[in-house]
Amino acid sequence: MIARARLPRDRERDLQKATSELLLALADDDFVLGFADSEWTGIAPHLEEDVAMSSMAQDELGHAAAYYGLLADLSAGDPDRIAYDRPADAFRHCRLVDHGRGDWARTMARRWLYDSANAVRLEVLAGSANRPLADLVVKVRREETYHLLHGEAWLERLARHDGEPRRRLAEALELVGPDAPSVLAPLPSEALLVDAGIQPLPGAELLTRWSARIEPVLGRLGLDLPAAAPAALDPRTARSGHGAAFTWLWTEFSSVRALDPRATW
Amino acid sequence: MTDPLALDPVLGEGERSRLPFNVDLPHDERFRAFEDHVLAGGKVEAGDWMPDEYRLNVLRFVEMHANSELMGVLPERDWILRAPTLRRKLALTAKIQDEVGHAQLLYRVAEDLGKPREAMIDDLLAGRTKFHNVFHYPTRTWADIGVIAWLVDAAAIVAQQALRESSYAPYARTMKKICWEESVHIMHGRDVVVTLAAGTVEQRAMVQEALDRWWPPLMQMHGPRSEREADRDLHWRIKAKTSEELRQEFLTIYVPRVLELGLSLPDPELRFDAAAGEWRYSEPDWAELRSVVTGHGPASQARIGFRRVQREESRWVRETILVPTGAAA
Repeated sequence: MIARARLPRDRERDLQKATSELLLALADDDFVLGFADSEWTGIAPHLEEDVAMSSMAQDELGHAAAYYGLLADLSAGDPDRIAYDRPADAFRHCRLVDHGRGDWARTMARRWLYDSANAVRLEVLAGSANRPLADLVVKVRREETYHLLHGEAWLERLARHDGEPRRRLAEALELVGPDAPSVLAPLPSEALLVDAGIQPLPGAELLTRWSARIEPVLGRLGLDLPAAAPAALDPRTARSGHGAAFTWLWTEFSSVRALDPRATW
Repeated sequence: MTDPLALDPVLGEGERSRLPFNVDLPHDERFRAFEDHVLAGGKVEAGDWMPDEYRLNVLRFVEMHANSELMGVLPERDWILRAPTLRRKLALTAKIQDEVGHAQLLYRVAEDLGKPREAMIDDLLAGRTKFHNVFHYPTRTWADIGVIAWLVDAAAIVAQQALRESSYAPYARTMKKICWEESVHIMHGRDVVVTLAAGTVEQRAMVQEALDRWWPPLMQMHGPRSEREADRDLHWRIKAKTSEELRQEFLTIYVPRVLELGLSLPDPELRFDAAAGEWRYSEPDWAELRSVVTGHGPASQARIGFRRVQREESRWVRETILVPTGAAA
């Protein structure tokens, strides 16, 4: 059977749907990570780090709010409704940020894995054919540069302290490492996004670039990153089927709004 | 956000040179020179000679302030995850980050007076030092977050504005920055309260209930009336106003602002006595204040216990930072 050629209007609609999928992935990643990291506010290991961590959590939430804003523009919706009023299983954050915050080593390992992968993704999206997205990404990258420096400094500090710090870091990498590639795993509609230049390179290429970036750092510190979990690379599972940690987080962050979702808060 | 004025030097040019009490004089003469200097409105820097009584009083005052900023984080922190919109969430995390930043600044001021930060945290968690009464109470609803950010911070800022003139210059400088940030918190808190007061019947009831619950601790917050002459902190110009002056100032500014939102205050005696030029109110429960600040408040032990557990869990991180790289931790 020969597939019927898609009409231009169908393509337009499919492309908009694919763009929404990309924006939702970007927004939910930063939203969920920002929430998890904000749990450190007030209880970080020391006061200076507390202030730094709160700043980064705010940056992530600010980025999420901006991505939700672009999504709202596409769908004539409201950023808060998109962010808060979805059921837990409609969130499209990646498996890496689905883990609970854990201890400081896990938070830092995850931050470094996420920030290094996100840097590769944003570098490519800065050349997106979607102008509002490309313009936003330029701004986001300025802040993300500092997050990566912070994460790398902690990775190094923990890795170079034999005993408990290094042991905890290794355990954290063991736990969250297999899910790290989920940040860059292909989206279900990737072919369309790449074809239209909205995401100029496919996920497979992003993953290669990311490995080339992190391998020298891991090698220098003598750290192992476990092989990718198959679910973290599969477009059908990399951003769905969330676990108990996210269910808890979702219940918490939607609890006040749930009192009256139509009220102004 | 930093108030540009906070960067101005507190000391005038004439004061920046060596002061008479820094010269090697017999103790009593030096004490008198110091007292004359402070009573004439002069400032004291961390490296100056100062009488033990002055050092201890400033330390006690600043340490309690630092403890309050640190413990004040906890009631609001519980609501960071639950903030109901993106804007509220960002405002709340930014506010709490400010409070942690204030704690850090104030502990540094106190450290310069000779007490290490870890010792101050130890004393706080062992119940040997105090923090403000309002942070010993639980938060029950989202409206509490509005009332705390608006009225607790307002009551605090009334006191803190007067501290910008403190004789201890490092504290005065720090207060300039803190007051600037607190004024932003008050706007955030008022916005939360106004939104609820203008919202649904349930939202309005929620904010009224929060106000009813927080009002008694707010009336206790500045402390019982005291004799101006007997207060050594006033004598040394560490602070500038008595408890009652601060409370009257708070009532003058904020009672009308609460009432104009159509909310009520749970004190039938509360009114402005025009003839006397001051507010009348039911006598606050001072026994409750004493009990609460000595660790017997409804959330005192839970808060201190929570902080103790968190501190233990991250001890290994602090040790990692303190031990040189490569050494066994």
